[in-house]
Amino acid sequence: MRNVKFFGNVPATKSRYGSHYGERIFEQDGERYREWIPWRSKLSAMLVKGYEIDLKGDEKVLYLGAASGTTLSHLADVVDEGVIYAVEYSAKPFKKLLELVRSRKNIIPIFGDASKPWKYSGIVEKVDLIYQDISQKNQVEILKLNSDFFLKSGGRILIMVKAKSIDSTAEAEQVFGNVLEELSKSFRILQSGRLDPFHKEHMFVLGERHSSAEWVKT
Amino acid sequence: MCYNLWFGKFDGGVVISENLKKSFEAASNPNPLPFNLSEVGIQIFGRNYYELLRKTAIEVAEEKVEKELSSDDKYVIALVKALEEVEEAINALNGKKEELEEIRETEIQEKFAESISNLENLRKRIEEEIEAIMERIAPNLTELAGAKIGAKLMEKFGSLENLAKAPASKIQIVGAERSLYKALARIRKGKEAKVPKHGIIFTHPFIRSLPKNKRGKMARFLASKISIASKIDLFRGELEENLSEVVRKKFEELRRL
Repeated sequence: MRNVKFFGNVPATKSRYGSHYGERIFEQDGERYREWIPWRSKLSAMLVKGYEIDLKGDEKVLYLGAASGTTLSHLADVVDEGVIYAVEYSAKPFKKLLELVRSRKNIIPIFGDASKPWKYSGIVEKVDLIYQDISQKNQVEILKLNSDFFLKSGGRILIMVKAKSIDSTAEAEQVFGNVLEELSKSFRILQSGRLDPFHKEHMFVLGERHSSAEWVKT
Repeated sequence: MCYNLWFGKFDGGVVISENLKKSFEAASNPNPLPFNLSEVGIQIFGRNYYELLRKTAIEVAEEKVEKELSSDDKYVIALVKALEEVEEAINALNGKKEELEEIRETEIQEKFAESISNLENLRKRIEEEIEAIMERIAPNLTELAGAKIGAKLMEKFGSLENLAKAPASKIQIVGAERSLYKALARIRKGKEAKVPKHGIIFTHPFIRSLPKNKRGKMARFLASKISIASKIDLFRGELEENLSEVVRKKFEELRRL
């Protein structure tokens, strides 16, 4: 991935900024890198497991469930010429998120509920990528709603699914199968995979919006 | 069509807002915008568009976050108290209705039924609100104890902070003070006594569904994890995924024994 380098089997992002959540800083050839801990970030776990997501660096991104900004800080290193709209509705982690945002020029923080995208519809522009990590029962529905509002035609979605929060009693495989089926109604699935052992019973799905669906509410 | 944008209103042309923070908070639209917001914005503000947007977003978020952090605890506690009152009222009305029914069939009973059903709706709304707030302010406590028990614990201790500072043994028996002090008084007199094993947390399905002789063990374990959960919620506020797993395993272990 752009601006990502592996130090042994640990990925790190090229960054001008200091440590945000206690990660180590590496230096190489006069460049600084921030360690990207796969146990802390699902996106990092994806990279460690050998998956790739192609980013040019000037993308507009909508990030749902930014929490305290662990993954967000690295994504902001990757799309360093783009803009990330970061939505989070929980006040405590948001305080930590604000610390990050104050030093980063390319993050727009939105203290709001991702299940109500209309509330920030006059703030967020049309985006190239929606990244979602919100472990909620209706997270697929929330993703669809947001993509109806903001995703460009041909835009991509990257969603992290926690089996337990969708159905705490069913088998993970079963839950993942249902989620994929549900997602494929609105998106072309490009890739999916498990994030074990870093994140137990988690799966990522990378998808693309059908190009005819642009800005049309279903 | 008129659209609400964070920097003003769009109605064919753009009317720029005099108070950006205000318009930022009111930038709600029922349907997706049929144009790309940033293109319109950049036409007006040029290269400063994102800088201005970011500055406004940060200012608005800072204010809202502070405000919420200071009032959420109180709100949940007030809701729990309200819920208890409503539940009591439902029970009282049900009792009176049955009393009437035994004596005579009258129309007034229907009125009672109506009022009860209204109150039951209210109870449901309050419970939903408690759940929504608890998931946001205390995700770990909520995952472990459930929204209702978690909120009741907060109410008993006065705040999330007090709960986080409380010893696990107190969390275990809070809500059963009367039987605890009774038991302590008997012990002081040298008599045999039954010390309560659980208070509020007894209603947790993991405790209630176990046979009596295992409930104490489960209650002690759950209380200690609730104590950890509330500390994480107080200081970090993010969901710790392994915590509830540990409790579930303990429950299954006890159930099998």
